[in-house]
Amino acid sequence: MPDWLTALLGPDLSGGLAYITNGKHLQWYGAFRFTILAGLLGALFALGFGLLGAAAKNARLWPLRQLGNLYTGIVRGVPDVLFFLFFPLAFEQGVEYFLALGQCSAEEVAANPGVWPPCPDANLFFGTTEYLLLACLSLGLIYGAFAANVIHGALRAVPAGQLEAARAFGLSASQVLWGIHVRQMWIYALPGLSNVWMILIKATSLLSLLQIADIVLWADRLGSPNFQPAAGVIHPDWRWRYYLVLFIFYILVTFLSERVFRALTRWAGKGVIVADNP
Amino acid sequence: MLRLTAAAALLAAFALPTAAQELRLGTEGAYAPWNFINDAGVVDGFEIELGNAICERAGWTCTWVVNEWDSIIPNLVGGNYDAIMAGMSITEERMLTIDFSQDYYPPDPSVFIMAGDASFDFGALSGVRIGVQGATIQAAYAEANFAASNTILAYETGDQSVADLAAGNVDMVLADNGYLRPIAEASGGAFKIEGPEILIGGGVGVGLRKADDELEATFNATLDEMKADGSLDALIGKWFQVGPFYSQM
Repeated sequence: MPDWLTALLGPDLSGGLAYITNGKHLQWYGAFRFTILAGLLGALFALGFGLLGAAAKNARLWPLRQLGNLYTGIVRGVPDVLFFLFFPLAFEQGVEYFLALGQCSAEEVAANPGVWPPCPDANLFFGTTEYLLLACLSLGLIYGAFAANVIHGALRAVPAGQLEAARAFGLSASQVLWGIHVRQMWIYALPGLSNVWMILIKATSLLSLLQIADIVLWADRLGSPNFQPAAGVIHPDWRWRYYLVLFIFYILVTFLSERVFRALTRWAGKGVIVADNP
Repeated sequence: MLRLTAAAALLAAFALPTAAQELRLGTEGAYAPWNFINDAGVVDGFEIELGNAICERAGWTCTWVVNEWDSIIPNLVGGNYDAIMAGMSITEERMLTIDFSQDYYPPDPSVFIMAGDASFDFGALSGVRIGVQGATIQAAYAEANFAASNTILAYETGDQSVADLAAGNVDMVLADNGYLRPIAEASGGAFKIEGPEILIGGGVGVGLRKADDELEATFNATLDEMKADGSLDALIGKWFQVGPFYSQM
């Protein structure tokens, strides 16, 4: 820190500033990128799975329709923390299972009964990048199921007359679907989707469950009491202060999201006749 | 572009395990001065310096993996890292699942820490709340010897047990002398160490998978070297202000 700043702030304030800008804290600030990325990429996946799920639920083929209903039914019913733990682990061990089929000899498998993976060659090491990607995929799968239901309902809410009129004008089936049906669906889907987004954002606080050094883990580390002079500033349990910062971050994200969704609703409502169109 | 990045990340996920020259060391990162995360946000401490010195001598490229104490042995066996250096005492129970190198810190007595103005009759402890870190030798010892007439409270980290002592939720904490002594000295009289010194465990060693015999031999040979030339004692002296233990033998 430059001398003039130390002189300006005085010993107490500059000590505090040095504390909250030390390497540990900088890593904490840097960890916000994981949370933001998980939120945005997770939402993108969720929208993708939501559209696919809604298409399946609306399909003419009976098995496809049942598949869509099965997906939304099961995934919405399982607690998100559980699914968040289950999916990445199942994925990792599933890949290891197929690796083991190719890489491990029968002798190695027989020599290590009950040991997973059965041979070292079939062992995957997942770091932050891989787990982050799996976390985004999990978020996408979980909240895609909710989004599918919302979009499914919104597709049915578009007045049939609009579609009939489009067909009468001679538009092709895909033109009707994308140009009229999906385009008009958004105004009905957005309130529900904004809800799903809010819940998804809250679930990004679970990243540390997958060994990602995210904002919650660092808040925990920084706030944990320290009594060892070798390990830095000695302080009692300060975790509530750090959690409070996270509260404020999530409230700011909520506030920002509301504004974005208001703008999106204005866009989606253009030219669409709805009773409560703003 | 996003799809390309995702594909690259997936490819990386499927890459085969690292080559033999690279070694991952597992540690807790919450047990100063053994191992902790320093103000710069990186792992530091006695075991970090020792581990890096061993790696340099053995010609390995080493990286540190921070893992919670509770799952540190299962994740070694599962292959998340190749060796544990986390102030782990060598015990019979642990030897059932993993192997240890020779010790790099001699058997350390366990001691009691308590409020500076407290006093207890250690001959007949009863009705006392004793804090320990879960899954440690002290936790097992307290459970076996004090649980009948006292309350044992287990914490995830050592620091949490001391924090609850400061808050008055436990009466005393039982832990390694090397961990508690600096806390008592830095507390300015708020904490003191009193009562019997209890010898549990057989020194601190590197935890290794049972199958990795070659790795164990290299660790042992390097530790022999560092004990003989006094560099291990120098590190112990630097972090714990005790010793020398090994170079004069």
